Amino acid sequence: MDAFLAAGAAFLDPYLLGVVLVGTIGGVLVGAMPGLSSTMATALLLPFTLTMEPIPAIALLSALYCAGTYGGSITGILVNAPGAPPAAATAFDGYPLAQQGRAGLALGMAAVSSVIGGLFSVVVLIVAAPLLARVAYDFGPPEYFALALFGLSMLATISGESAVKNLIGGAFGVLLATIGMDFTTGVDRFTFGFWELSEGIHFIPVMIGLFAGCEFLTQAGKLDQVQIRAALDAVKLPAWADFRKCFGTIARSCGIGTFIGLLPAEGGTVAAMIGYNEAKRWAKDKSLFGKGDIRGVAGPEAANNAATGAAMVPTLALGIPGSATTAIILGALLVHGLRPGPHLFTETPTLLYAIFLAMLLANIVFGVFGLIGAKLFARVTLIPIRFLWPSVFIMACIGAYALEQSVLDVWIMVGAGLLGFVLKRYGFAAAPIIMGLILGELVENSLKQSLIIFDHDWLRFLDRPIVVSFLLLTAVSAFWPVVSAWRARRAAAAAAE
Amino acid sequence: MGMPPGQERAAAAARIPRDLVIAGALLAFCAVTYGITLGFDEAPAAVAQNVQPATFPRLVLAAIAVLAAVLAVTSFRLDSPRKWPIKPMVPATAAMMVAFVVAFDTLGFIAAMGLFGLLMPVLWGERRWRLVIPYAVLFPAVVYVVFVLGLGVHFDPGLLGIN
Repeated sequence: MDAFLAAGAAFLDPYLLGVVLVGTIGGVLVGAMPGLSSTMATALLLPFTLTMEPIPAIALLSALYCAGTYGGSITGILVNAPGAPPAAATAFDGYPLAQQGRAGLALGMAAVSSVIGGLFSVVVLIVAAPLLARVAYDFGPPEYFALALFGLSMLATISGESAVKNLIGGAFGVLLATIGMDFTTGVDRFTFGFWELSEGIHFIPVMIGLFAGCEFLTQAGKLDQVQIRAALDAVKLPAWADFRKCFGTIARSCGIGTFIGLLPAEGGTVAAMIGYNEAKRWAKDKSLFGKGDIRGVAGPEAANNAATGAAMVPTLALGIPGSATTAIILGALLVHGLRPGPHLFTETPTLLYAIFLAMLLANIVFGVFGLIGAKLFARVTLIPIRFLWPSVFIMACIGAYALEQSVLDVWIMVGAGLLGFVLKRYGFAAAPIIMGLILGELVENSLKQSLIIFDHDWLRFLDRPIVVSFLLLTAVSAFWPVVSAWRARRAAAAAAE
Repeated sequence: MGMPPGQERAAAAARIPRDLVIAGALLAFCAVTYGITLGFDEAPAAVAQNVQPATFPRLVLAAIAVLAAVLAVTSFRLDSPRKWPIKPMVPATAAMMVAFVVAFDTLGFIAAMGLFGLLMPVLWGERRWRLVIPYAVLFPAVVYVVFVLGLGVHFDPGLLGIN
């Protein structure tokens, strides 16, 4: 209770309130800009938070995360170009609604359902994170190894070109994490004689390169694309009848989004897709879906925002990121000298409550700004990309450089951007690589410690029930795409008969 | 005029699956990287506690190799979609990215940023000089004020000595 009061008191400071406000408005703006996701924005912003105290730094990134998830819906609805991947499903019905001259209704419903989803998930975060952390007190290195393995195996089920490629991406990230000095023996690995690499590759330049550098190149290939803007009427709150029509959809999506967000590695994109599919599946009249059904906006928006708070649960309680953006927030905690996990709850409870309050506040603020300022926020799409993306690239260079004030980090960022573009072209997404890079150290250290505890007898992993449970979950999640593809083929065959 | 359907199917069957090529490249990568791990120093047994520095990277490489084999096998049944052609602007932009870092290291950050701000929009087809020139001047100025004066980031002045 003392920690909660201390966190609440911290929010009486206009500086912290201002930081959350800036993070929220910035999040909506970057979320609204096609190609600029909240993931990229948090990666770009992270190096500049190093000079801040941990509470405002993490509060800023958390607010940006919440608001950015909502912001993507604005351009999804108005321009049919989702600002961020979680808003892709929103555009299915949002853009047809805008074309029908009902953009205000779609934007209003997106704001309201996002706020409901977001607030619901923050409440879940407040309740579930301490409980999960309490369970994690019993975890030793074998449990953490199995948990990290489970987190990596979940990459098979996230959206992307192929489950196998996601897993390869995750493993490649783990391999990148082995660059530098081995912590137990002091032997250099993959340093090729560069002493600068002995400390390993810092994940921040890699992350910025994979997201911002790669997107800069992607945008270079899209210069001739013209966006068609739908007319925007005044943004208005959905009428009671619209709300009543969507109430079940929003409630269901809150549950779906929260559940998906709680799973390691999953995030808003998967939640939104499932939220949309379930909204359609439960609807009695499905004929308007894809043509402008308001439930097709409410479903994915409530789900992707419900995933935000929930994704913070494994991130804070276990140190296993719940999504790509929370992987960056996890990185932010690490560079601020904080080790996510159960000890965070006993050692720095004020910080945790401040994060909860920042997320609550961000959800309320973006709801208000979304309703009154969506038309204004939508104007970010008018910034000419010939100026916007070179500016983003320069910011990426500054972000990579500012960390250690080293040009080598800028080279690493550019290299990661070029590599990310090539990998993306062949179906390897950036998020699994980042997950692997961040979890790599935990996987290696916990495996080594476990092997020492077990005297190198691998079978003794099976003596521990929690480890066995995680290993079973790992097997299920790794093979889930195979099972779901088989079920889809069987359903298609049955339908053909 | 496209190929007749029969020929199209035969051509598709004769084509090497894209994912098979990717899997081959991954296996080659694993082999080369494994070779690099052979050059790692061995640590004394008491320090390494039976886990040599190369052990974990080799485990990860083995995992990648197994997944690459799975990708190769599944590529015959389910190949990845055909890739979009790379437009000439992409390699030109990549070259500008590299040139920017070279300029950053030699001319200094502020000068490099001014040049990049001038050339990049022009490369991307912007011809409104009344926008390009103010952008090339004002953007570095704003960055200087915010990051150098505001946040205390130190950039080397470079050959031109601008900082």
